[in-house]
Amino acid sequence: MSALIECLNLNKSFGMKKALENVSFEVQSGQPIALVGPNGAGKSTLFGILSGYLPATSGEAKILGHSVGSPELIGRIGALPQDALFDPNLTIMQQLSFLARLQGYRRNASLLEAARVLELMQLTDVANEKITALSHGMKKRVAIAQALMGEPELVLLDEPTAGLDPENARNIRQQVTALAGETTFLISSHNLAELERMCGQVLHLDQGELKAQKIIGQQAEQQSLAYITLRLKEADTGIKSKISRLKAVMQVDVKQQDELIIRYDSRQNAILDQELLKLLADQKLSYRQITHGQSLEDQLFQK
Amino acid sequence: MILDIDTMHKSNNLEAASINSFQRQAWLIAEQELQTSFASKRGLFVSIVFIAIWTLLLFYPIQFSAEAMHSPDNASLMISLLSVVGLEPLKNWQLAEFAIYWVVALYLFPASSILMAADQMISERNRGGLRFLTLRCSRGQIFFGRFMGHLLIQSILLATTVLITYLLLLINNPETWLDGIKIMPLLLLNLVLVICPFIALMSLLSVLMTSVRMASLVAIIALSLGGFLVNYLASYLPVLSVFNYWIPGSQVAQMAQSTPSIALLSLWSPMMQTVGFLLLGYGLFKRQAI
Repeated sequence: MSALIECLNLNKSFGMKKALENVSFEVQSGQPIALVGPNGAGKSTLFGILSGYLPATSGEAKILGHSVGSPELIGRIGALPQDALFDPNLTIMQQLSFLARLQGYRRNASLLEAARVLELMQLTDVANEKITALSHGMKKRVAIAQALMGEPELVLLDEPTAGLDPENARNIRQQVTALAGETTFLISSHNLAELERMCGQVLHLDQGELKAQKIIGQQAEQQSLAYITLRLKEADTGIKSKISRLKAVMQVDVKQQDELIIRYDSRQNAILDQELLKLLADQKLSYRQITHGQSLEDQLFQK
Repeated sequence: MILDIDTMHKSNNLEAASINSFQRQAWLIAEQELQTSFASKRGLFVSIVFIAIWTLLLFYPIQFSAEAMHSPDNASLMISLLSVVGLEPLKNWQLAEFAIYWVVALYLFPASSILMAADQMISERNRGGLRFLTLRCSRGQIFFGRFMGHLLIQSILLATTVLITYLLLLINNPETWLDGIKIMPLLLLNLVLVICPFIALMSLLSVLMTSVRMASLVAIIALSLGGFLVNYLASYLPVLSVFNYWIPGSQVAQMAQSTPSIALLSLWSPMMQTVGFLLLGYGLFKRQAI
């Protein structure tokens, strides 16, 4: 079976500036995939190439075994392009049903499909409005709705929750999670906590290069190396040294004043979490959160 | 209800695979252009203004000229005037209304085609809207569909003005109603073929230019100065005169002096120009970043 996305030595230059440099990776269908990196890392360029909007300078990109832009992929990929806007002269329903018709729906079925995706995005009320009548967040949700039409096998979402209020951002996360069985999502975002909740693996781009491809939550090289993230209610200066003395603890890093990352050998001490709770109780310290593992941010950026 | 929609949705996806042909998709793109032009408020306003201007043209200057041609008192004056502007053969037309319409339409419709077909893709590309289409149909379907759509829009407007001219003919000379009906299809065919390369040129410029105003300006400059430039260069290197064949409308003056049936013979050059501009435009659009 061919990979869902396959990139081999992908390069893209804009004049003298290299936006992507020898990017190679392969991902399979399944859980959503996160694409992370700082501004200018090449995320949108990679999205553009995978969606067929931009030609690569060199290298090869394949989706579902076909080169990007090939006719075999028509209707099989959905995408939320960054900053793309609908026609201001036609209603949302007119435009979405037209796109559905291009995907092969008959006239009546196209209206139903447009209504279905608008309902998913909680936009049924504005179906007959023009795009100019909507807020920024609503425009973005309409664009996400079009990406979901026809249940494509792969959906590329470039910054899907940027600029959305928390409630709508949550709705989008829920929709992605609900549809993840039938559709594989590739999502770029700066919100790592959000990606961590939704995605199964992560592609990390920086300065046009692929720095890492990781399974989220999977621990580093040694199987025994484990992490606990502890967040206290109030910062306590003495707790770090006390935790360091617990069995099998290798290192304690204070990330913020009230947050500590504990690195330990899980083969030597499988119940460190319980000992930690006991220590907190003895010290009469309250905590907000204890999490097994590192956050995605720490996995990617901790030196 | 959700289950019903879901079932329908999947069965229609299967249908999509079988009927996802080039023509169907291109036609849908063209149909959308028609909808934007005639069903949206803005498009409808532009179309109404266009037809209103033509109606005024037909019922005042054209009717005045046609009446002058009909009148025995003014006939000799009209013939002299036509000779001065090189349109003497028009006196042989039996239907004066259509004779005047023919000349006016031959010059005005290409000009209006340039302006009305200038934005085949530019605004949409600038706002990123083309990205919604390219995942659902090929670039060829978008490019040729847009050309087809604009050709249809112009053809509908042409047909409307031909019908208004026929109405004028019925008012002035009701006894020539059958002759009018006979000439209309040939007239329409000629005019549609004349505007083809202008719309194709705007398809090409829609790919090359980043603003609608710039596309219209470049087209007007190319068409007005192109002939002079080619002739000037050809005076040094005669072989360059071949580029005259690539200037849309170069045959219009010749067509204006003949009848629609004879004019058809000179329409090979607009056909060649149309194919050339479209192939070049498509070749560029296929590789363009959107």
